[in-house]
Amino acid sequence: MIKLTQNEILKILLKKKLFLILLLLLIFVSLFSYGQQFAYERTVQQFEAETGEMDFDWRVLASQRLEDLESRSDNEFIPEGVRASFDREIQQLSYFIDNDINPITPTAFGFNAEFAEQGIGLFIPLLVVILAADLVSGEFSKKTAKMLLTRAVPRWKILLSKYLALLMMTTLLIFMVAVLSTLVSFLFFGELGAGEPVITGFSVFEGTLVSDSTILISRFQFSVLVYSLVWFVSVIIASITLLVSVAVESSSSAIGILMASIIGGQFLQFFLADWELVKYFFVTNLDLPSYLTGSYQPVEGMNLSFSILTLAAWGGLSLLISFILFNRRDVLV
Amino acid sequence: MHTSVLTVSHLKKDIKKKTIIHDVSFDIKEGEILGFLGPNGSGKTTTLRMIVGLSRPTAGDVEICGYSLKKNFVQAMSQVGCIIEGPDLYGYMSGYKNLELLGSMSQGVTKEDIDSTVKLVGMENRIHDKVDVYSMGMKQRIGLAQALIHKPKLLILDEPTNGLDPQGIHEFREIVKRLARERGLSVLISSHLISEVQLMCDRVSIINKGHIIQNADIKDILATGEAVWTVNEPEKAQQLIKDRFGLETTRAPEGLKALVDMDTLPAINKTLIEAGFEISFVDNKKRTLEDLFLELTEKDKI
Ligand SMILES: Nc1ncnc2c1ncn2[C@@H]1O[C@H](COP(=O)(O)OP(=O)(O)O)[C@@H](O)[C@H]1O
Ligand SMILES: [Mg+2]
Repeated sequence: MIKLTQNEILKILLKKKLFLILLLLLIFVSLFSYGQQFAYERTVQQFEAETGEMDFDWRVLASQRLEDLESRSDNEFIPEGVRASFDREIQQLSYFIDNDINPITPTAFGFNAEFAEQGIGLFIPLLVVILAADLVSGEFSKKTAKMLLTRAVPRWKILLSKYLALLMMTTLLIFMVAVLSTLVSFLFFGELGAGEPVITGFSVFEGTLVSDSTILISRFQFSVLVYSLVWFVSVIIASITLLVSVAVESSSSAIGILMASIIGGQFLQFFLADWELVKYFFVTNLDLPSYLTGSYQPVEGMNLSFSILTLAAWGGLSLLISFILFNRRDVLV
Repeated sequence: MHTSVLTVSHLKKDIKKKTIIHDVSFDIKEGEILGFLGPNGSGKTTTLRMIVGLSRPTAGDVEICGYSLKKNFVQAMSQVGCIIEGPDLYGYMSGYKNLELLGSMSQGVTKEDIDSTVKLVGMENRIHDKVDVYSMGMKQRIGLAQALIHKPKLLILDEPTNGLDPQGIHEFREIVKRLARERGLSVLISSHLISEVQLMCDRVSIINKGHIIQNADIKDILATGEAVWTVNEPEKAQQLIKDRFGLETTRAPEGLKALVDMDTLPAINKTLIEAGFEISFVDNKKRTLEDLFLELTEKDKI
């Protein structure tokens, strides 16, 4: 089994996909870091121009934003839903100011968490799909399945070795996302910010933000938490990708099907948020880290444990069906 | 005396509700080369896929060295090496890496085994190049090597000389024949080329439209020829040959015709002469596998 898994890892590595993924990551991380640094510098300049002060103080800026939000929330003509979201932001911001937590100056650890939060809905699943889509379908489209499946090894062992290899490569991928986003953004910002505090544990109760159960943790701890969730989501995506890869004949249709479901799922969530069934679709549940910072409920009745359970069910079922299909499959290539 | 290395019994395969293979049975003894002969689309590849466990028979069973493929897949397959429809290897790896990888999936394949197999198929010089840049002949050699590294008892080759140049075909045949001779390897080799089967095989199973239409020894086929006697009183001669040799003859303009074993032809002639017939002409034409093949597939057409 170890030997089989090594073989599968070797295949993934020799296909040089990891290199492509690394390149994509590097491009996006650099772009986003640059963008954030640029926006921050603009904010500082604007602030200095407006106030005439030379020393930038985040507290002043944060208080300004707070006042701005409060005045907007006081507007009688805005709809109730929008006012509620303003109120949440106000509460969060006042909490930061009261507790002396800087939400404005970008840091590497702030960035890596944010990159993961932004990427988890589309970009990171995409990388996993690139990594995994041809895992099985590639053996069929290149006809190598004939060689692989006529050795004296039962089929379930072959699929298991492929899955184990995929899990390891997915873990490596997430590790690379974390390391690259931290390192590259550190080059831009010059601030690590690993020890800065973050608040987490907000919950939504009858439309208002409850901060009773919030806790303060360091940015480092927070990033570890976020990346654990990202890893979990990626493992689920990898399992679903395995299923599609087993079910179709060619790698390109596997990639097509998965891309369409992920992007289509985002649309579904956007347009049909009222439809009860949408919350059981895996794409709707991908954004786990957003639950950590509160004020997140894509569809009524969803929370962190609901999403984790739903995703786990998708992953487990995908694996089960993959093994059944693979065992039964007639290889006619 | 001989034990069966492969027994195929009553294989049937339906694809998309259409029966493609009907009740195919044959067996291969130790050290024997069996030709699996049939025109394109007759169901050779489909049958071989079921024998190596790539696809599931609708009915029937395959036994390899006494192990049922269905119940003991691993033991059965550890005795088999195969190339089904062309050697499709991992193009992004070297030939050597391919062999290492596939070899590691069988028990007890050592580096020496790989090296000696590479030498056997004559690929020492280019073995570390990527498979993508190999010619068809080289790929076929690596394909053969991958089928041999774990020292199987049965080698299954599906139209192995397709796409090779004459030189490559000749070398490939020599290697396979040598293997059967030296290692006592049994070989099942499918082909649509009659000459190939005639050159390489001990026995032949002829398949057409998914039916086995003949299982025979090549020697017997070649020993049978078509004899023609031009005699006076053909009716009486016909009766005599039937009484003495149990052989049915047919009347043709040039005389009596029959398929006979070449060894018995002198005895028949002697009997005719002793019985006082006047033979003005005797001819025999050696029948080739080609004649048999055409005869059998022709019959099927009508
Ligand atoms: N995947 C498939 N779906 C439907 N029919 C098939 C399939 N594969 C083969 N066949 C049919 O089965 C018959 C036998 O094909 P095959 O075994 O490849 O023949 P051979 O190898 O003798 O040339 C052909 O008539 C072909 O049309
Ligand atoms: Mg064929």
